[in-house]
Order: sequence, then structure tokens, then C-alpha cells
Amino acid sequence: MKILKPFQKVSKSKRLLIMGSWLVFLILLWTITTAGDKHIFPSPKNVMIGFSELYKEGLVTHIFSSLSLCFLSILLATIISLIFAYSWPIPLLKPVSEFVTKFRFLPFTGLSFFITMVVQDARNMQVWILVIFLTTFLTTSLIAVIKDIPQEEFDHAKTLKCNRFEVLWQVVILGRIDYVIDVIRQNLAITWMMLVTVESIVAASGGLGFLIKNSDKFMNHGRIIALQIIILVIGLGLDWFINFLRKALFRYSKI
Amino acid sequence: MEFEFKETLLYIDGVSVAYDGVVVVKDISLIEKNVVRPNIESTSQVIALIGRSGRGKSSILKALTGLIEPHSGKILIKDFKNKEHDAAKVVSEGDIGFVDQKYTLFRHKTIYQTLKFALRKTDLTAAEKKAKIDSYLEQWGLTEFKDKYPNELSGGQRQRTAIIEQLFCSDKFIILDEPFSGLDVGNIEEVKKSFELLNNSSEFNTVIFTTHDIDLAVELAQSIYVIGYPTINGEKQSYGTIVAKYDLRDSGHAWREYCDDHRELCKEIIHKMMMS
Repeated sequence: MKILKPFQKVSKSKRLLIMGSWLVFLILLWTITTAGDKHIFPSPKNVMIGFSELYKEGLVTHIFSSLSLCFLSILLATIISLIFAYSWPIPLLKPVSEFVTKFRFLPFTGLSFFITMVVQDARNMQVWILVIFLTTFLTTSLIAVIKDIPQEEFDHAKTLKCNRFEVLWQVVILGRIDYVIDVIRQNLAITWMMLVTVESIVAASGGLGFLIKNSDKFMNHGRIIALQIIILVIGLGLDWFINFLRKALFRYSKI
Repeated sequence: MEFEFKETLLYIDGVSVAYDGVVVVKDISLIEKNVVRPNIESTSQVIALIGRSGRGKSSILKALTGLIEPHSGKILIKDFKNKEHDAAKVVSEGDIGFVDQKYTLFRHKTIYQTLKFALRKTDLTAAEKKAKIDSYLEQWGLTEFKDKYPNELSGGQRQRTAIIEQLFCSDKFIILDEPFSGLDVGNIEEVKKSFELLNNSSEFNTVIFTTHDIDLAVELAQSIYVIGYPTINGEKQSYGTIVAKYDLRDSGHAWREYCDDHRELCKEIIHKMMMS
């Protein structure tokens, strides 16, 4: 059996067939294990009911609310992180950028307490909690991208009579702009995960996190699983879209 | 073959290179002049630096290109902008073109954008720049790839682009670090053709290259410098320096078809390398 041998190459159609079989197996397993009267995990039927209830309660609006919070936070965090990351090669500013990266070890709850004291509006509070946390992760990843640039690329720019700021512009900023998109993609999972948590802690204008918290309160497991599936599918969709965007915008990008 | 030495193109005096206080290269001194031959228009020079791994060839190249400051000594090159005879200047970043082993280019620029960027500091008008780029692309067989990015080019195409780019930007000096490393027979012929094109593109072009292929060094160069660890008072030192120089013009090996004489010279050079 070829498909049981390690490192064996299989055709695309076979790969799809294997994936499909696993999916069918998972659904069957789910249906069978939740068929009786007593079960902890909700059955597919319960989840479908959950979907339908959520839709009637304005699921689409909540999804848009979460997505707008996600995009706004990523946009602000990316701008701030890029400033820190591009300052990193400058000796005077390097300690500041490195200090920012250390903040990723700070506990979430502690910092949100201080933000609550400074920012009064709940929506803004959500945005800034996310921006602060994302900035620490994005800056760390962006600095890692700069550190990974081979010395040959800097030397190449210098041999073309580039001054130090031109080297920064050509090699780091323009030369790695596609990597910024990839860094956002890599950090998207953590953004999406944090976003749901932030929405459930600071209730503002709804959102998927708010829905989960609400469902949790009433022990509606069908709804919770339905929401988890929605969050997973949107997250994967965003990941695919950003990767597509990178490849479409930058022909030279091969990461 | 008749020839005559003219102006000094490259003057290196007592150069040493150190990293964190550890001297890796010491006492490098050499003079290269342009050579005039009857009925030959090109006076360009090809210089080969050879030596075993870890003897400091790359450090010498970095010092030559101004990418690292020599620990001591000075490197002067002919100042082509100064009309005075034998006018020289201290080498600085960008004076000497450098093509590394990976043929590094800007990954976000197409060939055309790359060459345009290399010409940005010249006094040429936009039309003149375009004409110059088009002419070089044609001559070097790159016209149909001008809108391609480095990741869409073959190794040979990348190398040719890197050479033209450095030619456009530097002052008639170009260094190629291991240009033949890992190439098949066909690609080696292509690089040899690039050397020819380089020699013909300007009468003052000086090409310095490193290689582990002694046959190719003897075939292409007019001067060969062997870099190795010197032996002083019977003790082998741990820094690199010039342990032998072969002037193939004086010895009559230069500008000739490769023959038994060249093979003999190769044996001698290999022996010298093994001793250092």
C-alpha cells in the first residue's frame, strides 16, 4: 500500500480522496458518538440548530463586527510595528525596538486593566488592547525577518553606492515588503484567537466573542460548537486570502 | 608577445585585515598597471587570486571593495575623473564592483529596473540611460528577460545581470568571487564569454576573480596571486598573505592558446598552494 509508506508521493486526486475520506470519517464518528440521549458533546443536529439560531440573531452582523475590529487592529498594529522594526537597524533606537518585543511576555489581564483606566469607550478599549498585544508579536516577527536578510544583500547595495538610509530603504523596506504580509498572515491566528477573547472580556458592539460568551452563559453547547466552526472557517479563509494577496501583488515573492 | 606597462590601475600597500583584533590577512602589497599591446585596442587586465579555503581571499576582496576597512595599509585605484597622469584615490564603497558567488541582486527589481538603478548616479539623460541599458542587454543576450525578476532567471542570466549592474556603477573595476564555482561545462563557457565581453566593454576594465580552478586561472588571467599561510623561520603562520605571484605576460603564458606550458605552470601553482 503506497499510501501507508512514509515520504511516498501521491497524486492530487488521491490526496483529495484521502482528505475527503477523513472528513467523512470525522462526521460519522461525530454522529455515532452523539447519537444517544446522554452525551457531553453536542450532536450535528444540535450544531445545525445552533447555526440557524445564530443566523436569526444576526450572525452576519456579528461576523462583520469582529472582522472590522480585526482589520482595524491589524492595520494600526502593523503601522506601529513597522516603525519599531525599521528603527531596529539604527543603533540609537535599537534598544527601544527590542524592549517592545519583550512585552509579549506580559500577562493579558494585567495590561487590559490599565487600558481600561485610560480608554473609556468599550470599542476603543478592544482596539487598543489588541493593538498593544499585536504590536509586540508583529515587531518580534518583523525584526526576525530583518535579522534573516543575508549579509550579501547589504553588501550588494553598498557596492552600488547606496548610502546607509538607501540600504535600509532598498534592502529592508522595499526588499522585504512581501514578508510584511507573510508576517501578518503568520500572526493572524493569534490575532483571531485574541480578538474573540477580547470581545468576550470587553463587551462592546457584539462580535463572535460576545456570542460565545452569551452562549456559554446558557450552556448552549450546540451554539458554541457552531460558533467555533464559524471562527475556524473565517480564520482559514483570511489566511488563504492574505497568502493569495501576497502572491498576486509580488511576483518575485517566493517564501 | 610585445607589450608595455602604462598607468597604475591598482596599488595595494601593506594591507592587513583583522576581525575583533585577530589578523586574518597581512602584508598584502601589489601593483597592477594597464598594458598596451600593438594592434590590440583593449588594455584591460584580468587578475586571479587563488589559494586554499580559509586563507583570507574573501577578506582581501571585501577590503578591496571598501566593504571592510583595512586594519592597516592602503588601497588606491586610478582616479578616472582626474585628468592628471597617474591620479589615484583611496578605494571606497562602490568604487569597485563586486559580484558574489550567489550573484546577489535586488529581489524586488526586474533586470531593467536593476540596471536603471545602477545608473542613477551618472550624468546621463533618461534617453541615454535607456539606450545604454538596451545596448548592454542586447550585447549580453538579456533583452527578452528585461522584465523578469531575479527569481525568474537562470544562474547564468543572474550572473550576467549582476556583472552589468556593477559595471554601470563602479569605476571600471570589477571583482568576481568564485564565478566558476558549481557550474557545468556549458555555464563555464558562458562565464568565459562574459570575461571577453567585460574586456571589450572598456579599455581600462580590470577584472579580479577568485577561483579554485587553477586551469581556468591560468587560461584567463594575466596575473595570478597565490594567497596562503607564509612560512617564516620554518614556522607556518596563521594569517593569509601573497605567497607567490605569477606574471603570465612576463613568462609568455598570457594571450596564448592553452598548451603544455600552461599545464606545467598549473602544476607549479598547485605545488605552491599545497605548501601554504
